[in-house]
Amino acid sequence: MNNNGTLLSLENVSTHFFTADGIVKAVQNISLKIKKGRTFALVGESGCGKSVTALSVMRLVPHPQGKIAGGKIIFEEKNLLELNEKQMRNVRGNKIAMIFQEPMTSLNPVYTVGNQIAEAIKLHQDKAGWQAKEDAVEMLQKVGIADSQRRINDYPHQMSGGMRQRVMIAMAISCQPKLLIADEPTTALDVTTQAQILDLLDELQQQEKMSILLITHDLGIVAERADDVAVMYASRIAETADSKTLFANPLHPYTQGLLKSLPRLGFTGERLPTVAGIVPDPLHFPSGCKFHPRCPIGCNDERCQTIEPEIRYVAPGHGVACWHAQGYEKITDKQNG
Amino acid sequence: MSEQSKKLPKGRSLWSDGIHRLAGHKLAMAGLVVIAAYFLLAAFIYISELCNWKISFLQWGDKIGREYEPPNAKNIIGTDFLGRSVLRKTIYGTKISITVAFLASILSIAIGVPLGAIAGYFRGAVDEIIVWLYTTLSSIPYILLILAFALVLKDKAINLHWAGLGTLELRGIASVYLAMGLTSWVGICRLIRGEVIKHKDREYVLAAKSYGCGDGRIITRHLIPNVFHIVIIDFSLRFVSFIQAEVILSFLGLGEKNSPSWGAMIDTARLDLPKGYWWEMTAATLAIFFISLALNVFGDALRDSLDPKLRIQ
Repeated sequence: MNNNGTLLSLENVSTHFFTADGIVKAVQNISLKIKKGRTFALVGESGCGKSVTALSVMRLVPHPQGKIAGGKIIFEEKNLLELNEKQMRNVRGNKIAMIFQEPMTSLNPVYTVGNQIAEAIKLHQDKAGWQAKEDAVEMLQKVGIADSQRRINDYPHQMSGGMRQRVMIAMAISCQPKLLIADEPTTALDVTTQAQILDLLDELQQQEKMSILLITHDLGIVAERADDVAVMYASRIAETADSKTLFANPLHPYTQGLLKSLPRLGFTGERLPTVAGIVPDPLHFPSGCKFHPRCPIGCNDERCQTIEPEIRYVAPGHGVACWHAQGYEKITDKQNG
Repeated sequence: MSEQSKKLPKGRSLWSDGIHRLAGHKLAMAGLVVIAAYFLLAAFIYISELCNWKISFLQWGDKIGREYEPPNAKNIIGTDFLGRSVLRKTIYGTKISITVAFLASILSIAIGVPLGAIAGYFRGAVDEIIVWLYTTLSSIPYILLILAFALVLKDKAINLHWAGLGTLELRGIASVYLAMGLTSWVGICRLIRGEVIKHKDREYVLAAKSYGCGDGRIITRHLIPNVFHIVIIDFSLRFVSFIQAEVILSFLGLGEKNSPSWGAMIDTARLDLPKGYWWEMTAATLAIFFISLALNVFGDALRDSLDPKLRIQ
């Protein structure tokens, strides 16, 4: 399958955790495509498998308990799951980089930030120490840290959360990766800093022409920043589309519920609508469609309770996994894709 | 550089911050001075032997008076059963004690830290083997184990030709420090393993992996520096126990035979004590007492200043 616009595609990827209580299927049969130069947002509640999906792409699922159980992760026409550890290390940081949720802890406290950025550079580029250090200064400048020449000798504890996240971004983009995975990059930051960091990511994306896999639970960010979206629920993708379509025409009851529960400008008075119930325990997922106990339609439907719907594309680029979604039943699996 | 940036305080690493705190601790600094004095003395004895200097207070073998002369103006701490100066013997004994304790500490760290880090980082089967190894070792009473090692190693030779070092003859103290080093890495190994387990799932390790660090690099560059304060603290406290262990081994007749050590002094003085010849025992005991006290005080202060959890004051 040669798809010029696609940078990364996941095909039926499953990741399982083998725990003392049983197998936790954290990610099940996920397929998605990230196009070059675009921002793909993966949205979902806590524990639905967003982060595990990202770690699966990096092949950094915590071992020995976690394991990618199946599927293909095709990046630049190579299956990442078939690479050996050494080849994979060359992808990490170089082709695919990642930034994390908690900037306060994602920098090593014993090294200066310059030292850490320079390490990332030296790992992938044949550069002398002083060259890497110069690059590090330039990187810090690029991510908007003033006085970078001096700041480079600072230790992480001397910086605020927002600045540390900028340093993380500097590290991540220091080797011009093709794909940046941002795992809830702004969750731990206050709202003003959030906006600055997201603006910075946008700007860098323009400059470096990279794709971004943005993992978030904030639909506001998705609406504002993402080109394409996938909504995850209980380790599967419930619905995927470009963000305009998704927000204008959500087909899955879960997506509809989420969008309804957002506060609107000018909304006053009563409580916001919620999606009733709680996220299912990953050790004891409900039978059939995993959303059916919380679903206004599915809770009374026998098919929803017994057979799990696979994702089908009801319109080009608009996939949904719900028996009751408009147009879902007309599509057979053969037409799918 | 902008005006404003000049006003920013200069950054300190966690290490220099710890040292800064330590410097403000007067008792610890006094301890450090004592420790340094012992080390310098040991180093000085080595140098003077290498250069063949004839310094009178290091000529411990000379007969300088009658047998069992009690402390007096001429021989401040008296003489032993051969009329040798007890003071000179005590001073010379520093060399053996410091050498043994230092080399044994280095050896136990060199074994314990990598094993602990590997066990903690990789877990699984590797971890089980290492844990099995050290629990087995630690289930044997410590002194028995050292004795067994020391007896086995005694008067053997280790072939180090492959490293271009010739043959290491295990005479006298070599078997002592090897025995102590080879048996006492369990404590530090356990500490490092626990600390690495705590650190290895931290986000900075994941971040380092995400920009392409391999396992070896993660352990050596990212994990060990973050747990190294434990090594330093353990070193300072372990040193005391090694000095004492040397004394016990010498006392049991496994130590250095040809030159005085504190343990050997206590061993000979033990028989003299009932006869009222107390000075040799006292001199050796005081020498051990001062370095032990200094190391303990310093070690405690070091822990207080390097352990981030004890920092809140």
